[in-house]
Amino acid sequence: MNEPEMMQRREILRRAAWLLGGAISAPAALAVLQGCSAKQEAGAPAAALKFLTAAEFAAVAEIAEILIPKTDTSGAKDAGVPAFIDVALDGLYPAEDQQRFRSGLAEFTTAAAAGGKPFLEQEPAARADFVRRSLESALAGDRKPRPFMLMTRELALLGYFTSQVGITENMEYVPVPTAYHGCVPLSQMKKPVYWE
Amino acid sequence: MSGGWAAKELTEKGLKTLVLERGHMVRHPDYPTATKDPWDLPYGNRITQETRRRKYVWARTGYPTPANEQWFVEDIENPYVEEQPFDWLRAYHVGGRSMHWARQSYRFSPMDFEANAKEGVAIPWPVTYDEIAPWYDKVEIFAGISGSVEGLPQLPDGKFLPPHDLNCVETDFQKALADKLQRKLIIGRVANLTAPLTHNESPQRGTCQARNLCIRGCPFGGYFSSVSATLPSAERTGNMTLKADQIVYEIIYDNDKGRATGVRVLDANTGAQTDYFAKVIFMCASSLASAYIMLNSTSSRFPNGFGNDSGELGCNIMDHNKPGGSSATVEGYLDVAYTGRRPNGFYIPRYRNVGKDKRNYLRGFGYQGRASRSGFGRFNDGPLMGADLKKAFKEAGPWNIGMTAFGEILPNHDNHVRLDRDKKDKHGLPLLVVNAVVRENELRMQEDMRNDAAEMLEAAGFKNVTVNSDNFHVGNSIHESGTARMGADPKKSVLNKYNQVHACKNVYVTDGSFMPSFGCQNPSLTYMAFTARAANHAVEELKKGSL
Repeated sequence: MNEPEMMQRREILRRAAWLLGGAISAPAALAVLQGCSAKQEAGAPAAALKFLTAAEFAAVAEIAEILIPKTDTSGAKDAGVPAFIDVALDGLYPAEDQQRFRSGLAEFTTAAAAGGKPFLEQEPAARADFVRRSLESALAGDRKPRPFMLMTRELALLGYFTSQVGITENMEYVPVPTAYHGCVPLSQMKKPVYWE
Repeated sequence: MSGGWAAKELTEKGLKTLVLERGHMVRHPDYPTATKDPWDLPYGNRITQETRRRKYVWARTGYPTPANEQWFVEDIENPYVEEQPFDWLRAYHVGGRSMHWARQSYRFSPMDFEANAKEGVAIPWPVTYDEIAPWYDKVEIFAGISGSVEGLPQLPDGKFLPPHDLNCVETDFQKALADKLQRKLIIGRVANLTAPLTHNESPQRGTCQARNLCIRGCPFGGYFSSVSATLPSAERTGNMTLKADQIVYEIIYDNDKGRATGVRVLDANTGAQTDYFAKVIFMCASSLASAYIMLNSTSSRFPNGFGNDSGELGCNIMDHNKPGGSSATVEGYLDVAYTGRRPNGFYIPRYRNVGKDKRNYLRGFGYQGRASRSGFGRFNDGPLMGADLKKAFKEAGPWNIGMTAFGEILPNHDNHVRLDRDKKDKHGLPLLVVNAVVRENELRMQEDMRNDAAEMLEAAGFKNVTVNSDNFHVGNSIHESGTARMGADPKKSVLNKYNQVHACKNVYVTDGSFMPSFGCQNPSLTYMAFTARAANHAVEELKKGSL
C-alpha cells in the first residue's frame, strides 16, 4: 500500500467514524475498507451496518462504483459512498421508502442473476451493462415514488458530493471566499464548478 | 430581534436591565457548526426522520438540517393547537429567530403606513413614515444593511452599505424587466456587512465573508443578530443581566398602583418559580408568544388578558402570503459564473396597486429570487453514468432562475389565538390555540403572484417556465404579527403609538405584535426601529416620572 492509498484509507476510516456515530469500531472499519476495495466485494459484517445486510451492502457498493467509478478523480467507494448510503437509508427515509429500496434491490439482484451468475460474480462489463439497463428502465418508468435505482443514484450523488474527495477533486471549494463576484469569466476560475 | 434592541437601548440609557430568555444560552462567537465542512456533517446535511418527528412544524419549512438544528425548537415538547393549519416556528434560545432570519431588510413606505386609513381597513396606523424614518436610519446604521439606492416611493432608501452584485443573468433579467414591463429589479437589501460598519460600536463584528452559512451563526459577525450585535453592546454597558432558561408566563399587575410590577417565571429545567420586579417591562417574545403571556395574565382589572380592554389582544394575526412563484431554465451564459456565495438574492419591489396600477384586490406583493448555476442535483434523473458522468461532474451546470412572491395579508379580527386552559404543556401551562387563514383578498392576490412571476420570466426569454404553486398556511413565512395592534383609539387597539399598553403604560410590546397592517416587505427592520423608539420613549417617560 503506497502513501496516498494509506492516506485515503485513513480518511475513509475517519469518515466511517462519523458516519457510524463517532466511535470507531473494528467491524465498522473493516466494512468500509472492504467497501473501498475492488477485490473484496463480499460483505461487511452486518453488525457494522445500520440498514443494509452485508450482501445488500456489497451490491449497493458495486452499483455506486459503477455509477461513479474511480477515474482521474476518486470513485464512489473512495468517497465512502457505500457506507453513506447505508447510514442515509437508515436515518433519512420513512419505512415505506426503506422497504421499497430493499425490495427493489432484491428485484435487481434476482434479475441480474437470471443468466446464471450472481451480479457480484459477473464480469465488470456485464455488471455495468446491467446497471445501465436498470437505470434506463427506471428513467423510462414511473419515478414517483422513487424507484430503487433512482434512490441509489440520488444517494450516491449526495454521498459523493458531500465527501471531501468528491467536492475538492471536482470543484473549487473555498470555505471562506471573503467576497462575492457576480459575473466572472469561466476562463478566470480555477475550476469551472464553484462549490456552493 | 426586538429583545436585543430593547436591551441595548435601555442599558445604554443607563437602566439596569434584566433580559429573560426561555431557551438556552448562546454567546458570540460560539456557534457549534459554523465552520464545519460539508463532509463533517452527518447525513449529507439532510434532515433525518427523527428530526422531522421532533421538529415537525419546522420540518414543514425545509430549513432544519444537521448544521442548524440547534436553532429550531423541539416542536414535540412544545405543542400548540392548530384549529387551522398554522406553522408556529419558534426559536427558544438567546438570540431567538435573529440567529437564522433571512436578513432581508426593507423599510415600510408612507404608502404602507397610510393604507389602512385610506382604504378603511381595520384601524389607521398611529405613526407616520416621517416619525419612524429617523429610527430606521439609526437601526440601519448600527445593524449594517447593504443595498442600492433606488428612489422608489414604495420602498424608501436607507443608510446602506455597498450593495451585493447581481450576477450576469440577473443583470440581464433586470434590463429585460425594465424595457419590456417597466418593472424594477434590485439587489436584496440584507443585514450582511458588505463593508466595515460605519461606527465603532461593534468591535466584535467583522465583514461578511460570502460563505452563505449565516443560518448556522456567523463567527465573523458578518450578519446582524441579537447575539452578534445588540446583546454585546448591552453587555458592555455593565447594566445588563441576561438569564437563559427562564419561561416568562405572566405579567404581574398591581391593582392598587394601576401598573405592572414584574413578571412571573418558571425555570425551564427545574420548574422553580420566580417573580422578577421592574419599573418598566418590554415584551419582545414574538407576536404569538407575547400574546400568549398577556392572555395568560388575568386579574380583576384585566379578566380577558393583560391590557385587553379592546378585545383585540391575540387577534388580527398577519403573516406574508407566500403561495409560490415561478422558475425557469436559462440558455447560454455558459462562459460566465460567480465566485463566493452571496447570502442574498434579487428583489422585485411591489408594483401592483402602485401609481396607476389597479387590481381587483388591495395592496400588493414583492418577489425574492436568484439565478444560479445548477448543482449536482441535475444528475439525479439523468442517464449519464460511469466515466461520462464523472466528466460531466467537472463542467459547470446550466443556469436556472426562480423567484417566490411575498404578499400582504390584511388584518382580520377572526384570525386569532386564544388559550385552552384544559390542555397543558409539560410545564403545566395552558396551550395556545391558533386559528388564522388567508381570505378573499389574499386568494385573489395569489393568482397575480404566480402568473406575474411566470410572465416576467417569459418576457426575459427564459425557457421551461414553470409556475410554482405552494399550499400556503399562515405562519409559514415566519412573519406572524399583529396580535396586540397599536392605534390611537384604546377601544380598538391594545397599544398606543409608542408601543405602550394603553391601559398600563409601563408595559411596552415591541415585537411584531404591534403591527396594524403588514405591507409585503420583510418586517424585522421595522420591529428594530419601533423597538429603539419605544425604548427611548420609556427612558424619557421614566425621567419625567410618568411611568
